[in-house]
Amino acid sequence: MKLEDIARELGLTELTPEVTGNAEAEIERGYASDLLSDVLAHAPEGGVLITLQVHLNVIAVASHAELAAVIFAGDRRPDDDVRAKAVAEAVSLFVSPADTFDIVGRLYALGVKGNHA
Amino acid sequence: MEHLAYDIRSGDFGGAGAASRDLKQHLKRIGAESGAVRRAMIAAYEAEMNVVIHTAGGRLEATVSDGQLDVDVIDRGPGIPDVPQAMREGFSTASSEARALGFGAGMGLPNIERNSDRLRVTSAVGDGTRVSFSIMLRPEAADQGARPSSLGIVAGLCRDCRHCLVACPTAAVRVREARPSVLHHLCIDCTCCTAACDPGALTLLDAPDGLAPGADAVLAVPPALLAGFGDHAIDTVLEELRGLGFAEVVSVHPYEDELRRGVLDLAATATMPTPVISPVCPAVVSLIEVKFPSLVPHLAPLASPWEALQRDLGGRDVTYVVSCPSQRTALLAQQPTAQRRTVTPRLVRDAVLPRLAARRRLAHGTPAPQPQAAGAGDLLVVSGVSHVLAVLEQIEDGRLTDVAGVEPFICDDGCFGSPLLGEDACVAAWRWAAAAGAAAGEGRSYERARPYRPRPGIRLDPDMAVAIHKLAALDAETKGLPGKDCGVCGAPTCAALAEDIVMGRAARALCPYVSPEEGSAS
Repeated sequence: MKLEDIARELGLTELTPEVTGNAEAEIERGYASDLLSDVLAHAPEGGVLITLQVHLNVIAVASHAELAAVIFAGDRRPDDDVRAKAVAEAVSLFVSPADTFDIVGRLYALGVKGNHA
Repeated sequence: MEHLAYDIRSGDFGGAGAASRDLKQHLKRIGAESGAVRRAMIAAYEAEMNVVIHTAGGRLEATVSDGQLDVDVIDRGPGIPDVPQAMREGFSTASSEARALGFGAGMGLPNIERNSDRLRVTSAVGDGTRVSFSIMLRPEAADQGARPSSLGIVAGLCRDCRHCLVACPTAAVRVREARPSVLHHLCIDCTCCTAACDPGALTLLDAPDGLAPGADAVLAVPPALLAGFGDHAIDTVLEELRGLGFAEVVSVHPYEDELRRGVLDLAATATMPTPVISPVCPAVVSLIEVKFPSLVPHLAPLASPWEALQRDLGGRDVTYVVSCPSQRTALLAQQPTAQRRTVTPRLVRDAVLPRLAARRRLAHGTPAPQPQAAGAGDLLVVSGVSHVLAVLEQIEDGRLTDVAGVEPFICDDGCFGSPLLGEDACVAAWRWAAAAGAAAGEGRSYERARPYRPRPGIRLDPDMAVAIHKLAALDAETKGLPGKDCGVCGAPTCAALAEDIVMGRAARALCPYVSPEEGSAS
């Protein structure tokens, strides 16, 4: 499913409209974790990450793991410098008021799976 | 062998990741396979974070040698009392600050182990820890083919002004001992150096046979040539060109229109990444193959207008009047024998001008400008090297998503703006638009005969082990040069001279800022 379609279906707020290259990206896999080493080790390339962490290192990890997008759960919003870093690294950021469990459930229903499905 | 070193500060969560990112750039430059680059990045990032989280600070040192990356991360303590315990997944002694940031899950060292081919951890309490890991590197498959450039060099005309050095978008030109030369693996056959070269030392040369009229001979011309003879009407120009002894004069413009339609069709069918880039200008195609390999999938798999025309004229005796080196190179790639049959607009102008002058010029009013026969429609038309570079960068960064198709020309104002044509681009384009339809003809669009191929001009050597040695030498050379980019050495920048030295194309002594003793050491 295309990232822009996911954003629409889940009612996500986009934080990085400057990053436009990912909108058409097909998102097939996702990962949910707040442990960045865990993300680094297991997040699927080109996938989406759902996390509560909103600091700068999330962007570094997302970029290292070559993720297309990060969704911040529980209405947690990053600072401007984090947002700017994401734009520079071409990582799309979204925020949702829903909690991690609900976001993952809705993504799963849309066909976005984990590593082993 | 190349050696890199980075300082890592304790508690610097914001700056962490800089070393692993820089390491990634180096690995890409030597052409390491992308999977290995990713594993190296992950392992290096974890090691970097470990120093930030747990220690009083340290260093990351990386050595790239034959097919292998060795990383040593050394910190200043406090040291790990029980290394096997630290290696177990889930064990962590991280501070609550680190944990709050999502680190300290006890996965760092296991992550390094998983992503490296060899890991060794030694530690002394009170002293510090040394984490050493290695990753095997294999080269990424890539085509090294460099094509000969069609740029013609008349060394005797060079005034040594060096304007060409800065004009070249790929840093391919060198001027040494008042002789310009071109690095073929970087040259994209554009007209930037030609436009900058007032005396004409860098130009396009005519085939030795010159114009070759004949009973069945065809003269193929660009529309800019037809519209480039002052107020002589286009049908008059066509008549006088035939008068040179050609059975037929054909213009490439219907093929330009057909290509535009083909690109618009491709952009509408969503079968390839957008924006779809038109291959109308072979110099831009080369620029993409050399400097923007990631954009190769955006190039429409269609023949350029000249290539399509050449295919339609196959078997006939054709003289091609090409307006730039890139058109000539494209024609030669498709049919090597065409080299005896490409001539410059200048040669044709010189031949036809006396004939035009001899005609009694008919007084006629100003032609009213009319809309172009085939509009660019939804295509974004980009011309001029600086605009083309800016737009290609936007596409590469994914910032140009509202555009379905791009028609890029390396010359200002498109093919009408080639410096090898005699008439001003705006005037010729206006005349051509005003007289649209005067030169009728049918065009066609063809699938591309040869696939596009990335040309890794930045790769230092096809052999990765050799590339590693050269990259290390390159870094050392660059540090030894002043960074003034003055051009006195004959290279456009200090970085270009450093590459010349490493590749054996120049000596360090060419730099006026390097002392003689240092210079002779190279």
